[in-house]
Amino acid sequence: MRNQPVSVQYPSGSTQNGGDTSVTGGGRDDGPSNVRPSTERPKNPHQRAGWVRGHQKDGGGYAKEMPKLITAGAFARARSAEVRAMLKAVTVTTGSSHVCGALPKHMRRRAMSHNTKRLPRRLRDVANRMAGSKKKKEQAKSKSRKARRRHGNLLLEFNRRQRKNMWLETHIWHAKRFHMVKKWGYCLGDRPTYKCYRPCYRAMSGHCLLQDLSYYCCIELQGEEDKLLASLSQLTSKEAGPTFAAALSLSGRRQGSVMVYKAGQYPSQPLGPVTFLWRPRTQGSTHRQLWIWAHPIIKKDLLLELQTVCQCCEAVVPPVVPVVTPAEVVPTLGPEPEPKPEKNPETKQITGTKRKRSCKDASGPPAKKILGDGTRSPTTPVTWKSSSTGIVINDLTMEIVRYRLIGPQSHSVLAETLEAATDCDVRIMEINKSQSSSLWWPEHCKDESKMNLHQQQADVYHILKGIYSTGELPPGTVLGLTVDDPRLTLPTKKVKALPCEHAVCVCCGFVSEVDEEKRKELMLRGVSEHCCQSYLWEQSVRDNVTDNKISEQELNRMRSEVLVPGSRLSPTPLQGRVPILLVHQPGKQVGHEMSSWGAGWDLLLPKGWGMAFWVPLVYRGVRIGGLNMSLKHSQNKGAPHFPHDYPDCFAGVHFQEEQETELLDKFKRRPPAKRTNYIKHGCLAPFRCPWQQLAEEWELILREGGEDRKGDGQTGTATEADTEMEEEVTSHRDITVTKPPSRITVLRNTKSLRLLSGWCKPTTSKGQRHCRVRELPPLDRSATTSFLTAHGMSLVWVRLSLLSKGKPELHAMVCVPTAEDLQLLKKGPGSSGPQEPPHRDHFKSRIKRRKKGPKKAATSSLSSKTEGKESNPPSGSEPNPTTSEDPKSSPKSSSDRIFGLWPDPLPSVTSHCSRLTLGWVTQGDFSLSAGCGDALGFVSVAGLLNTLVNQPMEHRGMLLLRNPASLHYRFAKINIEV
Amino acid sequence: MVRVKSRYLLCEVNVSDRSQLLLLDDRAVAAAVKAAVARIHGDYGAALCSIRFNVKYVNAHTGTVFLRFPKRCYRLLWSALPFITSVEACGQKIPCFLNCLHVGGTIRTCQKFLIRYNKQQLHRMLPKCKNKEEEEQIRREILNCSLKGGNKEGFEDGSESEEDEEE
Repeated sequence: MRNQPVSVQYPSGSTQNGGDTSVTGGGRDDGPSNVRPSTERPKNPHQRAGWVRGHQKDGGGYAKEMPKLITAGAFARARSAEVRAMLKAVTVTTGSSHVCGALPKHMRRRAMSHNTKRLPRRLRDVANRMAGSKKKKEQAKSKSRKARRRHGNLLLEFNRRQRKNMWLETHIWHAKRFHMVKKWGYCLGDRPTYKCYRPCYRAMSGHCLLQDLSYYCCIELQGEEDKLLASLSQLTSKEAGPTFAAALSLSGRRQGSVMVYKAGQYPSQPLGPVTFLWRPRTQGSTHRQLWIWAHPIIKKDLLLELQTVCQCCEAVVPPVVPVVTPAEVVPTLGPEPEPKPEKNPETKQITGTKRKRSCKDASGPPAKKILGDGTRSPTTPVTWKSSSTGIVINDLTMEIVRYRLIGPQSHSVLAETLEAATDCDVRIMEINKSQSSSLWWPEHCKDESKMNLHQQQADVYHILKGIYSTGELPPGTVLGLTVDDPRLTLPTKKVKALPCEHAVCVCCGFVSEVDEEKRKELMLRGVSEHCCQSYLWEQSVRDNVTDNKISEQELNRMRSEVLVPGSRLSPTPLQGRVPILLVHQPGKQVGHEMSSWGAGWDLLLPKGWGMAFWVPLVYRGVRIGGLNMSLKHSQNKGAPHFPHDYPDCFAGVHFQEEQETELLDKFKRRPPAKRTNYIKHGCLAPFRCPWQQLAEEWELILREGGEDRKGDGQTGTATEADTEMEEEVTSHRDITVTKPPSRITVLRNTKSLRLLSGWCKPTTSKGQRHCRVRELPPLDRSATTSFLTAHGMSLVWVRLSLLSKGKPELHAMVCVPTAEDLQLLKKGPGSSGPQEPPHRDHFKSRIKRRKKGPKKAATSSLSSKTEGKESNPPSGSEPNPTTSEDPKSSPKSSSDRIFGLWPDPLPSVTSHCSRLTLGWVTQGDFSLSAGCGDALGFVSVAGLLNTLVNQPMEHRGMLLLRNPASLHYRFAKINIEV
Repeated sequence: MVRVKSRYLLCEVNVSDRSQLLLLDDRAVAAAVKAAVARIHGDYGAALCSIRFNVKYVNAHTGTVFLRFPKRCYRLLWSALPFITSVEACGQKIPCFLNCLHVGGTIRTCQKFLIRYNKQQLHRMLPKCKNKEEEEQIRREILNCSLKGGNKEGFEDGSESEEDEEE
């Protein structure tokens, strides 16, 4: 115990003398002076040495001389001194002497010593003083929450946060419910915070799933039709399917999708997939308008490419900023018309806001909600025009809100949410006749032809309600429409939109034959051309609608003034008409089963109206999906998802690199002992897919393969296959011209794909024999060689469905089964598949040795020897001992080696395992629609053809699939769906 | 929590000659107690007395003594205290007896009791004063008996600085 009073006694050494002197000479007058410590102690510091431990500093020193007499005063003094000493001892806390000790036990709480705020307030000061030296400085106090949440300040804060990454209009809604990620310059919702994987799937296949796709960039092209087509034709190729000039799309009745390549570079250097939409022709004019919707990653490249093909390099300075001198803009126009939008605007805006804050007067403009692109500076040109061709390119990024509804009941949701715009009251219009209204709808109402068109569109929309499923419509159908503000019909409670009562009426037989006819026509032909027209195409109308939107506050005020609470506002306010475009989104188009799964509608809105439509849609019981769900959507559709599954595009390559670092980081976070040892699993690249190497190696194998592979100990392939291969090789050699190794491409030629797809199917499969077999050339040597000359370095997008159990994972390997494996398959369909013999990890011992240092080298080499013995039996079947030995011989700086991963450069990727590798899976999961493991990925065309040729007819198209962290091969059926 | 439990005895040393009290020493008191216990309870007592017996505090002016005994056997040891008739200190034999005023579980309770007891004593002295001067002195001392605010502060600072030195 500390701070206890010390015994008050005379030193034993001095007592002899002191006692005597005190007895003899000590007077009662000495007493008081002796007891006064303050005077005594400083004078005789040396005396303290004899004392037991010294007194409290003010606790009363006692003279060494003993008083002779006892008086009441001395007696009292001694008592009071003791009382004081005791008081001190009592008041001062014991134990750790921290303030916590002062608290009674029942009031002590955990972590009080770390956080003084847990202490009662009266003790906080003392505690702060004691702990103050250790603690860091307090952060600058921010404004109170109330102040921060005040509307103006909140808006300022939001605007500040939008400067770096663009926010969609539904950002706040999403941010409250989703895990947000910053991607491609946007803040996007990745996945909801609640568990909804299966409900979302069910929504996609049974009801409706809603996504905000506003981050897709829209680029508008205007010009003469023939000139536009001529310039755009350089970007696409007819071989890869319909182009911009497809008749149905060109009329404006359908949305088209196309793969864009760099000008004239097909089939190499693809940019990425885009969708496009032509505006329907107006009578007697060849001037056309085209919207191209592209993913934000490729927007920049696409814009550049479009500018070059259209020869549009003349930036039109937006008229909003007269301050900026043209000189500032002009230099940026040359080779790179898009100036870096980050630096310049950022500084400008910052200075702007600072000025506003420093002078707090009302002169500064009130903070305005950012609509559209918040990161772009007002000086950045968004329009380019060409003097030679007259084409105008307009960047409409964030100008148009795009929502995607996926699911068979999307049309019911739309039908319940949106109502075709009601006409304006004629009387009101007559009153207003003198002054022309600034709103667009009243103006339109005056025009008879426009109202006719609207009536027709409304009729089509009405018919649309009656269809059974969204998938029934022809893919890509477009419908223009003008609708009322959906906020007016917002239900008080969230309801689930059910198929319209119209459909019920059909059952009852109330609907006339005419309606039935119309519906059939709609389902067969789609919407007629003039009904695809919408005022959304017009910039002026869009701006007008955006500017004149009724604010939520105003709307609520109007609602509160309604006589019967909860009833509909009437008459509808004049501002409440919005032009929209409905674009049908095709579902699964490839393959036989589940066709048109995941079809839906895209809803295009003018900017600013995002939330006004979002909340009513949500109130119709739709599920909301994020980026994660769009991946799953395309996976279930069997379609490649951009940018995940485009390894030949720049964006795809970039994505793969990002993914690799991300996965590697995750891998490295585990302690080495808990990591999967991918070397032992025989997995060379678990985090990426070396497509280029794969394609090159297959090319090499085919060209000079036979004897090499024998030398490698490839005993797997049957002997007759080997001989066949040799034949093939010889025949091959005659034809192939040695060409420089080119970059990989993804096979997108529809004709070739169709051919390949036919070849993949087992010809003896019963039942659904494909009808187009008749036009298929038989799969033989000559056919393959001719095919390979065209597409030697290509990859092909395949779908693999597992025959038995197993769940394919990301980057699972697609392998060639050997003849024995196929024998295994013949025994029973339930056979689980062959096993890969475990590999040896040569690097492990070396890593160990490095750690232990040179002295232990001998033992580690010994251990590696024993290791080698252990895994000797499989080494007989190990395909390529030279390659596995190869890294051992090569001296390498192993400082950055990661345990469990192959260091670069990789040995042969194809022949590393006992089965040849054909490709990798890029999307693999248990498919809820198929009820079995389902994988999508790429395989090398050369390898695939080689495999197919060597396989017996009944097992054609049977491959093996192996997860990176498993040694088990699973049988999978390959499908190339066109 | 689990801890070693003790009993603290607050005893008063009563002597006939007050000046002899000043010779009092903690070692002397401890020796006297040990001797008494050994005499009364034999070897067993002496052994008990050697475990965790301690004289925590001696005030030679007031004759206050804190004794610590293990809780297990404090009654046995206590029973030997009345048999102390003298304390040998500094070569002198001081005839005295120990009067136990309080038995506490912690030294703190003993201290608290001592404060109360001493104050009571002073207050009792006050009406019995013989002359004015004495009365004045006692009154002053009674007032002295409390810790002043400034005093307290100073003390705390002192303790803090001490801690700093220790650290």
